[in-house]
Amino acid sequence: MPKSQYVDPGKVFQPGYLDFESIPLCRYSKTLDEEKQIYSKEDFMRIYHDMRTIREFETMLNEIKVKSEYNGVQYNNPGPAHLSIGQEASAVGQAYCLDINDFTFGSHRSHGEILAKGLSSINKLEDKEVYDIMKEFLDGTILNVVEKHNNTGNIKDLAKDFLLYGALAEIFARTTGFNKGLGGSMHAFFIPFGILPNNAIVGGAAPIALGAALYKRSCHKKGIVVANSGDGATGRGPVLESLNFASMDQITKLWGMDGKYSDEGMPILFNVFNNFYGMGGQTMGETMGYTNPVRLAAGFNPTQMHAEKVNGYDPLAVIDATTRKKELLVNGKGPALLEVATYRISGHSPSDSSTYRTQEEIDAWKEVCPIAAYRKKMIEGGIASEAEFDAIDEEIIGRTTKIIKLAIDDEISPRMDLEKNPGMISDIMYSNQHVKSMDPSREPEVLMPKEENPRVKQLATKARYAYDEKGQMLPKMKLFGLRDGLFEAILDKFYEDPTTIAYGEDNRDWGGAFAVYRGLTEALPYHRFFNAPISESAIVGSAVGYAIAGGRAIVELMYADFIGCAGDEIFNQLAKWQSMSAGILKMPVVLRVSVGSKYGAQHSQDWTALCSHIPGLKVCFPATPYDAKGLMNAALNGTDPVIFFESQRIYDIGEQFHEGGVPTDYYEVEFGDPDIKRVGKDVTILTIGAVLYRALDAAKTLEEKYGISAEVIDARSMVPFNYEKVIESVKKTGKIVIVGDAVDRGSIMRDMASNITEMCFDYLDAPPAVFGSRNWITPAFELEKYYFPQADGIIDVISEKLMPIPGHTTKYNETELEHIERSKKGL
Amino acid sequence: MANVVIMPRQGQSVESCIITTWQKQKGDKVAIGDVLFSYETDKSAFDETAQVEGTMLAIFAAEGDVVPCLDPVCVIGEEGEDISALIPAGGNSEEAAPTEEAAPAEEAAPAAEAVVTAPAAGDRVFISPRAKLLALKTGCDLSKVAPTGPHGRIIERDVNKALDAGFTTTTDKIEAFLAGQLIVEEVKEEAAPAPVAAAPAADDLRAYTEEPFSNVRKVIAKSMHASLSEMAQLTLNSSFDATALLEYRNKIKAAGEVMGMGKITINDMVLYAVSRVLPNYPEINANVVDNTFRKFKHANVGMAVDTDRGLLVPVIFGAEKLTLAELAAKTKEAAGKAREGKLSPDEMSGGSFTVSNLGSMGVESFTPVINPPQTAILGVCCTTNRVKADGSVYPAMGLSLTFDHRAVDGAPAAKFLKELCTALENFELLLAK
Repeated sequence: MPKSQYVDPGKVFQPGYLDFESIPLCRYSKTLDEEKQIYSKEDFMRIYHDMRTIREFETMLNEIKVKSEYNGVQYNNPGPAHLSIGQEASAVGQAYCLDINDFTFGSHRSHGEILAKGLSSINKLEDKEVYDIMKEFLDGTILNVVEKHNNTGNIKDLAKDFLLYGALAEIFARTTGFNKGLGGSMHAFFIPFGILPNNAIVGGAAPIALGAALYKRSCHKKGIVVANSGDGATGRGPVLESLNFASMDQITKLWGMDGKYSDEGMPILFNVFNNFYGMGGQTMGETMGYTNPVRLAAGFNPTQMHAEKVNGYDPLAVIDATTRKKELLVNGKGPALLEVATYRISGHSPSDSSTYRTQEEIDAWKEVCPIAAYRKKMIEGGIASEAEFDAIDEEIIGRTTKIIKLAIDDEISPRMDLEKNPGMISDIMYSNQHVKSMDPSREPEVLMPKEENPRVKQLATKARYAYDEKGQMLPKMKLFGLRDGLFEAILDKFYEDPTTIAYGEDNRDWGGAFAVYRGLTEALPYHRFFNAPISESAIVGSAVGYAIAGGRAIVELMYADFIGCAGDEIFNQLAKWQSMSAGILKMPVVLRVSVGSKYGAQHSQDWTALCSHIPGLKVCFPATPYDAKGLMNAALNGTDPVIFFESQRIYDIGEQFHEGGVPTDYYEVEFGDPDIKRVGKDVTILTIGAVLYRALDAAKTLEEKYGISAEVIDARSMVPFNYEKVIESVKKTGKIVIVGDAVDRGSIMRDMASNITEMCFDYLDAPPAVFGSRNWITPAFELEKYYFPQADGIIDVISEKLMPIPGHTTKYNETELEHIERSKKGL
Repeated sequence: MANVVIMPRQGQSVESCIITTWQKQKGDKVAIGDVLFSYETDKSAFDETAQVEGTMLAIFAAEGDVVPCLDPVCVIGEEGEDISALIPAGGNSEEAAPTEEAAPAEEAAPAAEAVVTAPAAGDRVFISPRAKLLALKTGCDLSKVAPTGPHGRIIERDVNKALDAGFTTTTDKIEAFLAGQLIVEEVKEEAAPAPVAAAPAADDLRAYTEEPFSNVRKVIAKSMHASLSEMAQLTLNSSFDATALLEYRNKIKAAGEVMGMGKITINDMVLYAVSRVLPNYPEINANVVDNTFRKFKHANVGMAVDTDRGLLVPVIFGAEKLTLAELAAKTKEAAGKAREGKLSPDEMSGGSFTVSNLGSMGVESFTPVINPPQTAILGVCCTTNRVKADGSVYPAMGLSLTFDHRAVDGAPAAKFLKELCTALENFELLLAK
């Protein structure tokens, strides 16, 4: 909450009314003669051509699904085909207004949008530009295919082949597809034409599109972003969160910083293709109460997002409305919302028997088929003859037939050969690049030189090593703590990479709930560092979009428990886009999550296992200031998504291990490299996160009381993880207990124990033991010692499971019998 | 209805038995009279036969396991029957914990962890992969290792402790031990002795074979060592004029059969004399347990018998009441049973005194070792010709009496020996008593 805005009790309680403007519904009324002033014959014909191309393409897909044959070509496609036959005018009308700087994001039903945007871009680009794009993309792989089978000598004609073939090969999972077949029907995209990822998760694209808009807004890039979704998606939280996030007041009221920076609104158009059905659930009259999706907009800001509803069966009406919306956005009046009423004549998928609607309804919409109606209007308006339209039809059918023949030819369009090249997918799971700045052409926007920052000055007085010359631990107040290590790494990146932004709940002014960001408010303008609404889906989803668009984002969910609120964005979006794009996209996003303590069941969970389970994420959990700074540097300098776990128990802990303390200079701690924090020979304790210090206490007791020498290894990162050091240690000690604060069942500790068993079975003197938290809720702080692993419990586990310690009396019941009984009860 | 087969108690003094082989496995069909398993007590081997028919549903002890008498060993019943109620608590069919009895290697056991003991050869061995690897690398004799890991598992430190104590052996033996094969080999010894060849190659003159102690041997070793280490033993040697004894034996040889008497040996006659003299010496016809005499009312004379399985000592109870012929018949029967391994433990315990005869081997004098908890043992030696003062020659038979000086003083022991010699020299008079 910025101090500049006063919450005045006198005004808050003032009586009055909140006014709403009327929202226009299908107010387009231009005559063809009026339109002739705008469009040339070529333009009119191109609109028909593009709609007809989409119709043919989807008809072909439908025939293949239903009959395994199109125009004499046999094929079986086991993958999905969510068609939008009937919605062509909506897609083409929108795309007509956009150029390659304008990004479109879509849904699982976006073949039409891809083709429309692609065709529009091809038309707008110069021949050379188009050719260069085709030649550069995937080293000309797709171009090579289509070039051999196109002898028109026409670059635009060749580019149409390129577009259709790249999309179809992708749908058919061929290596010559836009994403080497790894995205497929529901995720296809082609960034050079401004076609950004489409999303199989309903509504999944909205926060991502928001993030791309944020990138344009914060990095001052040209163009707007269109978040396409169906009406069904308007029921989803992430969509509503994104509508709000894009509309938040601060963008126009605070980000300008008294004229220093831009105060323009978010350049995003939420475009709802309202086809009235989710899959079968009818939004209007059944699953929603808004009668028109456009009503949503009225709730988000006083401009009502400039919302209107347009007839999506008339491409000229769609162009008219979209043009006006784009103009608003370009002029800084965003965000906007457009409802494009349309109708899906085809089923949701070929297996849809339309049990939820009548044949009468379908027939009525077929009657008003947008393509047929447009053609009739053009002929009647004297634009062109039947024969001219027939010629276009013929050309399109010919092209579609040619393209499918190429796309199903296993020689021309092979699938990935994972026998010959087993690493093809492995190699694209991470980009593993080191990129200091995502945009070296720009200077970072900051409010002061780094060295003048109050926190930087304060940290200069702190001890960067926890012990003095006599080996005495210094008081915490004098120490450079873990939170300071994080701050230094993040601040450095802000001064190095102009695209770097950070946001989350209570980040600005407050400095983050745990004071990691104290000092950033003074250093950074709003558009690089701001408070997000309490919208975890939008926070993480927008970071995904920000990175897809080309930036680097640090986002924070105050507590790791809130990962649950951003499940789709973390597990399906953040984790998967690099690999679903076949390595075309980079995902330089650091998601900071803090593991709580003292705050009970919903604020104390270590969810490293959930994140480690999902391929594509990197996961770390540093426990020392040195490791925190080094891993944060590595994360921020990388191009992969990192879930950065922190512990509220140890934000203030000093550096006890790295001789010489935490370096002021830049350094990285390599992801995957565990660190031996204490050398020993009798038993290995592998720790995850803050439990390191309890393990060290246990090691001390083991040494002093029982003469047992424990080696303590800090995992530091869970994914990736190099087992070599651990194996070496286990070869030495023969015994290992893996300790962490996560609940035992299904934890990453269990995964590690299983791997260690396989990797060094012959060296084990006992099966690796795991000591996590109980499979309970986290109880109150006073009871936590019965829940989280404690030092004495670690000794108990060692004595009970690895090597009975003579003279040790166990305090906790960690016997196998007890574990069997617990497991029977699901505990 | 499932039937639990328990470990039979073969004699009152037997507390547990070791299972040597299973003839039936879990899931096998069992008919009445089928041998289920073979087992051994300290000194004898038995077969347990099925009393009911059905299917072997569960087995609670593995080969080599020591099972307390009357404890469940297996269950026979109908296939698919619920026998959960019959499964003994605290154990399961695979993991019979090694018990105290299974520990013939106490010399290797570290004092500190007295509760745990080394697994006997043939027990299922629980050992960590690391300890196993170390044992194979160093040649540690796992039979000497006392496990201290969870669930009685041998862990690395246990192997190191045994190595520190110098217990090493061959890889073959370690592997055999790990495979639980040693007991099996022992049982099959007669059929397929094939002892494990050790120290091969370089120098055949140094070749030897290694054979582990049989269980009987282990018991003898334990008993003999305990005997010598726990008692104050000393031996008195004497001899008597055996002229009368040999003459009497010749008479029996000549006419005994006609009179319907069986074969009577010199040993029988010595036993007879012993049985008649013993009751006069209650401290010698006695056991000593915990500083207490058990003075027997009868002369229960043990008779050492050399067998393939080792030394066995059947006891002739109430020998003082038997005629010479009756005694001879008993000794013949007992020796036969001993050689066939059919003595019950009860027939081999409860002796008050033992006679050991090495005379037939030409031994002139020796130091017999007392069979605890007895207080004395008589060794019978061979006959040698001696010259009297008048120059005549007589056959002198040697007797060696070892007694426990804790229980018996030298004088009464010597007196007993003297009286025995007198009785033997005047054997016919003794018969008349």
